[in-house]
Amino acid sequence: MRDRLLALAESARREIGGASELSAVEALRVRYLGKKGELSGVLGGMGKLPPDERRSLGEVANSVKAELEKLLAEAVERAEAAALEAQLQGPGLDVTLPGRGVALGSRHPVSRTMEEIVRTLSRLGFDVASGPEIELDYFNFEALNLPKDHPARDMQATFYVDEATLGHAKKADSSVLLRTHTSPVQVRYMLNRKPPIRAVMPGRVYRRDSDITHTPMFHQVEGLLVDKGVTFAELKGSLAAFVTAFFGSDTRTRFRPSFFPFTEPSAEVDITCTNCAGKGCRICKQTGWLEVLGSGMVHPNVFTSAGYDPNEVTGYAFGMGVERIAMLRYRIDDLRMMFENDARFLEQF
Amino acid sequence: MKISVKWLGDYVALPPSVDELARKLTAAGLEIEGMERPAEALRGVVVAQIKESVQHPNADKLSVTQVDIGGTALLQVVCGAKNFKVGDKVPLATVGATLPNGMDIKQAALRGVDSFGMLCSSKELGLSEESSGLLILPANTRVGTPIAEAVGLDDVVLEVNVTPNRPDALSHLGVAREVSVVTGSALKVPQPKPAESGTPAAEQVKVRVEAPDRCPRYVARVVENVKIGPSPQWMQDRLKAAGVRAINNVVDVTNYVNLEYGQPLHAFDLEKLAGQEIVVRTATRGEKLKTLDGKDRVLDVDDLVIADKDRAQAIAGVMGGGDSEVTEGTRRLVLESANFQGSTVRRSSKRHGLHTEASHRFERGADMDAVVPAIDRAAQLIAELAGGTVAPGRVDVYPAPKPPRKVTLRFARVEQVLGVAVAEQEVRRILEALGFKAVEEGTGQATYEVPRARVDVEREEDLLEEVARIFGYDNIPATLPRGLATLAPEPAHAEAERRMRQALAGAGFDEVVNYSFVAPRSLEVLGGAEKSVALLNPLSTEQSVMRTSLLPGLLENLPRSVRHQVEAVAIYETGRAYFQDVEGGQGQRPAAREVPRVAGLVWGLRGGGRSWTHKDARADFYDAKAAVEGLLGALRVEGVTYVPAGPAAYHPKAVAQVKAADGTVLGHVGEVHPRVVKALGLPDGVFVFELDTEPLYAASKLVPAYRSLPRFPAVLRDLAVVVPLELPNDEVRRVILEVGKPLVEDAQVFDVYTGEQIPQGRKNLAYALRYRSAERTLTDVEVNEAHQRIVDEVKQRLGAALRA
Repeated sequence: MRDRLLALAESARREIGGASELSAVEALRVRYLGKKGELSGVLGGMGKLPPDERRSLGEVANSVKAELEKLLAEAVERAEAAALEAQLQGPGLDVTLPGRGVALGSRHPVSRTMEEIVRTLSRLGFDVASGPEIELDYFNFEALNLPKDHPARDMQATFYVDEATLGHAKKADSSVLLRTHTSPVQVRYMLNRKPPIRAVMPGRVYRRDSDITHTPMFHQVEGLLVDKGVTFAELKGSLAAFVTAFFGSDTRTRFRPSFFPFTEPSAEVDITCTNCAGKGCRICKQTGWLEVLGSGMVHPNVFTSAGYDPNEVTGYAFGMGVERIAMLRYRIDDLRMMFENDARFLEQF
Repeated sequence: MKISVKWLGDYVALPPSVDELARKLTAAGLEIEGMERPAEALRGVVVAQIKESVQHPNADKLSVTQVDIGGTALLQVVCGAKNFKVGDKVPLATVGATLPNGMDIKQAALRGVDSFGMLCSSKELGLSEESSGLLILPANTRVGTPIAEAVGLDDVVLEVNVTPNRPDALSHLGVAREVSVVTGSALKVPQPKPAESGTPAAEQVKVRVEAPDRCPRYVARVVENVKIGPSPQWMQDRLKAAGVRAINNVVDVTNYVNLEYGQPLHAFDLEKLAGQEIVVRTATRGEKLKTLDGKDRVLDVDDLVIADKDRAQAIAGVMGGGDSEVTEGTRRLVLESANFQGSTVRRSSKRHGLHTEASHRFERGADMDAVVPAIDRAAQLIAELAGGTVAPGRVDVYPAPKPPRKVTLRFARVEQVLGVAVAEQEVRRILEALGFKAVEEGTGQATYEVPRARVDVEREEDLLEEVARIFGYDNIPATLPRGLATLAPEPAHAEAERRMRQALAGAGFDEVVNYSFVAPRSLEVLGGAEKSVALLNPLSTEQSVMRTSLLPGLLENLPRSVRHQVEAVAIYETGRAYFQDVEGGQGQRPAAREVPRVAGLVWGLRGGGRSWTHKDARADFYDAKAAVEGLLGALRVEGVTYVPAGPAAYHPKAVAQVKAADGTVLGHVGEVHPRVVKALGLPDGVFVFELDTEPLYAASKLVPAYRSLPRFPAVLRDLAVVVPLELPNDEVRRVILEVGKPLVEDAQVFDVYTGEQIPQGRKNLAYALRYRSAERTLTDVEVNEAHQRIVDEVKQRLGAALRA
């Protein structure tokens, strides 16, 4: 019996040593060590032996079993390592295939620019406000120091609303229009608040113009700051701070006297050309400067419309066209692309 | 406004360079938008006198000339023209010059003879379209003079952007005044004094002003014995520089004086005025007038006209009439220099679509004090240039002269508003140079009389602006506003909107921005035309009503992309829809109801295009719904339900109402109705959604409350039921969750199947149930019991069969 045991051990050693696949190792484990395996078969007759022999044979059997278990475990490890090695050596994935999923959507350049302008101004402490786009003549013009028959109304070709389609009776002396600028929001905002005021008012505006450089709808961002003792110097400082924060710290500003009915004094604000850094190029028509903002000290008549005493408070206001800034930012050379919403345009942003 | 620099020089000493002049004017508020410099193109071309000319030894058609350009030696130039003789003065393009046609002049040997330049024709200099031979200059032209100067092209024309508040700068004298203020050099104002003789003007023409409020002043002069002809070249050159066409000596003088003083003038042929009288009155209804542009106008009772005894002869301040026009045969003139009310002129100008040099000035406000000098200047010039005699005196109807406006400036306000201390002395200097006269002095303040030309100056702020612009915006420091009292709160919806956009971008949607106005038809097709707000003066029918939905824009965007071989479209827009409001326009209430929305459209291949993972699958209802769920999820809007119902624009069998937990309808998601698809020529399979964002943002929970993690493990079981085809998933789920309470934590549908092995009219739904107790680890027995209970109830309540 001992001989059979040793022979078994010998053949098992050989076979386990030669097994390279997991399945073969498992088969050997069952064959030798399984419940009905060869070791059990040999030891089955052990009960008939005298106790002495049984004990010594038991010791041999245990050591054979332990040895085979160890060998099998090693074989498993070997086989697993070999299998892994084989797999690692095998053909790989085509990593150049695109990933599964959906391409990210884009943000419209105008809407993104407007958000960035607003965000920059919020850092200067401006609240964000909005107002109606279908507006009363009063808020769009009169309250802003643009009475009827004022020549400056020509600067803003206006779309008027057919009041029969408004669903309410026409008010005697105020026609309804599509706001030509975001400035009426200033008046509405002030009417409902007491100074100090800091607000930025983004939104859609409309002018009856359509050609290569004008679209009948565009976007503006307006800013308003009102308090006791606000000065023109602060207007300059705030806008210069905005310009460097938004366009980059190398960008310089230039203030030129101009005219807006709702500010006095008024200033156009130029920035050094974002394309050529002020050296002169096609974009800035060789001047080195780009006109990007209109601004000024709030006109006393506007304060009066808003119920403020112009002797008590002063303030500044400014506005900018978002499309123009977006065009400069993204180097878009055709304004009309903005509202055609061509997929090939949109996906670039 | 076009300003001739040469002309400007008549009134004020100019800075040495035009660029400096332009920079100074721009800095003071008269923006120079552009410059015309014709002389630039003729640099290097000078006047030469031909001293000698001999036949070229090797070419029959060429001459070899020796020309004098004022240097020490003569220059040898080979020339092909024949139309000159020795002694003539002609243009010479010297070596190094570039002609307007692009030709570079180089020293060259022509058939073996050296030539130092080129003698030019007027065509070669760009002075005419055609020419034969050299340009022969007048004999008195000085040798060596730059050719631009010799032919009167040495002027520079400034394009001045005059803002509507500054009509005083709509003239050469007005701009000269600004120049004198910014350079400190004196202004020379002409003092016209026409020599008068003959019958006094008042005896030759009567003037009656019936509407003095609309014509505060009317001055007339009579000039007799004029001889109509062309005006002299210098005047024609100046008019041309200013962009005005020369007509005849009288009309040119009126235009010239207008450009000089900014005071529009008109000349009538006095013989053609019935009754030799002028009546300034409002037009009668239906009154007719042929204006100078040859058009027959029907006048309105609101039009102010200049009439004779019988009929209208001019629209006041806008345009004269053809019947009393100055023509070749005119001998006796009446000149008009008047001041008309701006709003009157503006209305007439708009009504008749006539924007003229005159109306442009009157509607902005002309200078009451220029009326007399301008007419005197014109009379004097006409006498000089058209040989007329000026009748003594002016007929001046000025019933209610108003004293000049007075405005007080408190000197301390300068620093308070501008933020910089400007010395009082400097403030006074600036205002006085601009023509403001201090007429009263007070403590720390002075009251100024405003020149009548400065119609824009009405109050203290206006004076502050004058000080600021002349002091120089560049000299005002830039300071940041003082500290914040409070930090402005971010507007309520900003974060919600940001998250919504992120969710849509993550789902592959590109943002679009469409016009707010659409074609009425696009709304009709979608069934949203009623209650829409229409424009009175749209640019086109295509943009004539305010949208009541964002869908028309998106549906228009789709074919544009499809046309360009785009195979997958996923777009969205945020913006407003506009509706009537019966109470609109009251007080501060907006005139219409404007509803902020978000809408999206998905069409074509799923996932943005063909891909090996999506296997050309096409987007369907559930892709649109996924976008809605995604944005609701990003905003953490909970308890939203989808009810099969929707407006007419949607496919009735593929649409859901999106309902908030409180029952508010947020909007819809669904397939576009096949009839709409057909009507708009869209491709099949277009899926859209549109939601009101205000209730959406209101229902969002941007700061969710943390729930502690479960302490015990979950047990997972699947459940498959065969139910009638129309039974919605939500109902099955509801029964499962209700019966399974409290152990069933969640039940997710993971398979929907119809077809083989499933009876007709039924479908198989498979759910993944997650059992869990908050108090203990569940045993198999407990879960089995609960699962069986659910199976029984689902069978019983929903007529379902359990699938093996």
